[in-house]
Amino acid sequence: MFDLDTYAYTNRWIKIHPLEKFVFALATMLVCLISPSVVVVGAVLLLMTVASTKGAGTPVGQFFRFMMIPFSFILTGVLTIAFSVSHDPGGFLFGFTFGSITVGASQANLMKAGFIFFKSLGAVSCLYFLSLTTPVLEVISVLRKLKAPSLFLELMGLVYRFIFVLMDTTALIRMSQTSRLGYVSAKNTFRSLSQLISSLFVRSFHRAGELATALTARNYTGEIRTLEKEYPVSKRNYAVILGIELGLLLLNFT
Amino acid sequence: MAAFILETEAVEYVYPDGTQALRKIDMAVAKGQKVAILGSNGAGKSTLFLHLNGILRPAGGKIRYDGREVVYNAAGLRELRTRVGIVFQDPDSQLFSASVLQEISFGPLNLGLEKREVKERVLKAMSETEIEDLADKPTHMLSFGQKKRVAIADILAMMPEVIIFDEPTAWLDPRHAREFMQLLDHLAAAGRTIIISTHDVDIAYAWADNILIMNHGQIVASGVPTEVFRHPDSIIAADLALPWLVEMHGELMRRDWLRPDAPLPRSKEALFASLGGHDKGKITAGTTGTVLRVLP
Repeated sequence: MFDLDTYAYTNRWIKIHPLEKFVFALATMLVCLISPSVVVVGAVLLLMTVASTKGAGTPVGQFFRFMMIPFSFILTGVLTIAFSVSHDPGGFLFGFTFGSITVGASQANLMKAGFIFFKSLGAVSCLYFLSLTTPVLEVISVLRKLKAPSLFLELMGLVYRFIFVLMDTTALIRMSQTSRLGYVSAKNTFRSLSQLISSLFVRSFHRAGELATALTARNYTGEIRTLEKEYPVSKRNYAVILGIELGLLLLNFT
Repeated sequence: MAAFILETEAVEYVYPDGTQALRKIDMAVAKGQKVAILGSNGAGKSTLFLHLNGILRPAGGKIRYDGREVVYNAAGLRELRTRVGIVFQDPDSQLFSASVLQEISFGPLNLGLEKREVKERVLKAMSETEIEDLADKPTHMLSFGQKKRVAIADILAMMPEVIIFDEPTAWLDPRHAREFMQLLDHLAAAGRTIIISTHDVDIAYAWADNILIMNHGQIVASGVPTEVFRHPDSIIAADLALPWLVEMHGELMRRDWLRPDAPLPRSKEALFASLGGHDKGKITAGTTGTVLRVLP
């Protein structure tokens, strides 16, 4: 997760307007989800892989490692589609019979499961493209332009910032516990972990209090307003995106 | 214009748990001064600072800014916080944004300025703290010293007349602490009033125009550095040490190695210059232990 964050800040497409990347990722995802053709899904997967690796500069191996993370989730998800329960053992390609009940997979269901599997993977690749090219704060600024509620966006920003503070604190507490043999046995581990969690909870409260004080000292009155980075808007990029999406849609008719 | 930019008169404060944090604090800071508040942990320095910016309201006594008493309503506090800024000790509790640019723009935007002017102020604050190259970096990838500089730029962009630094050199290594104090000198030279809290007596002694010593919520001594430390009792009683320059000066005086009229030195160069004997040339690196060779 933290690698993802690092790539987002160091990728080659960091200077491109975040809204353009956002539109590209979401439009492609939409096309991927509504297309009935497996060719389109394959094309989306290929397109996003190339855009993230050749384009934005994420190492290919790293990109595939990221793609493996949701792999097992999607697989378990589509298994329920592939297999069905029936009293009639006929029609299944293979199956297991328990008494009068047969659990098995028919060819149609297998095809359907495989298609959904690739479709999900295609959609995930679109989201990865966005995560790998656009830092969280830029995504938030896009959402602000799209008029998402500001309370929600402020919370997103603060949560994002304090994930890292919390991780640093966790690492420090854990280190000090380890240096006092906190994790040498299962029993110690359970005890140390429970103390780690409770002290993180207490410290988060302290942090929140300190943050509120520091914000008040800078005339905070209930709304966090900040300047946002400005990016050049490229009509050419929008034209390219439109072209790609139309091309993908046309692939459905081949 | 009033003689003092910031004054407190018999300020008292009791925390909700009953701890008497401040007892009859009287202090007066002249415009453009560099003030150091010295005190051990829990002496009440941070509590005092939170009063100077209107975060805490005194249970008794008065606080005056530029001769006028602070008004505790929205407009009055806004005014005070526009003129008095605080840089907190731990930048991780001050920096709320993952973007350096957004972080620094928060304060000036709260002043109701136009975007164009906010942008100018942000850039100026970043150049004064020498962090222009961090503009595109996320906050969590900065080093501690860099975060500390962003925390200062936060406040500079609001252009306050008084800047308060809570323990500015805590957790900084000697080199960064020295650079930090140079930055403070630079900020003071631009006409700002600077107040710091610290328990590093050497830094306070060498840097400040005026020193206040706090102990158990009281100011136990105050004055110019060369006077305050002439009375070691109050320093020791406040759980502080004497600056090494003062101790060295005293010891050299006691051994008659200094002329009786030699002034209390503010830097090690001044101390060396007041020593007798003759210079045998530069002391090379690695032989700093031989510094005593220049003594008669």
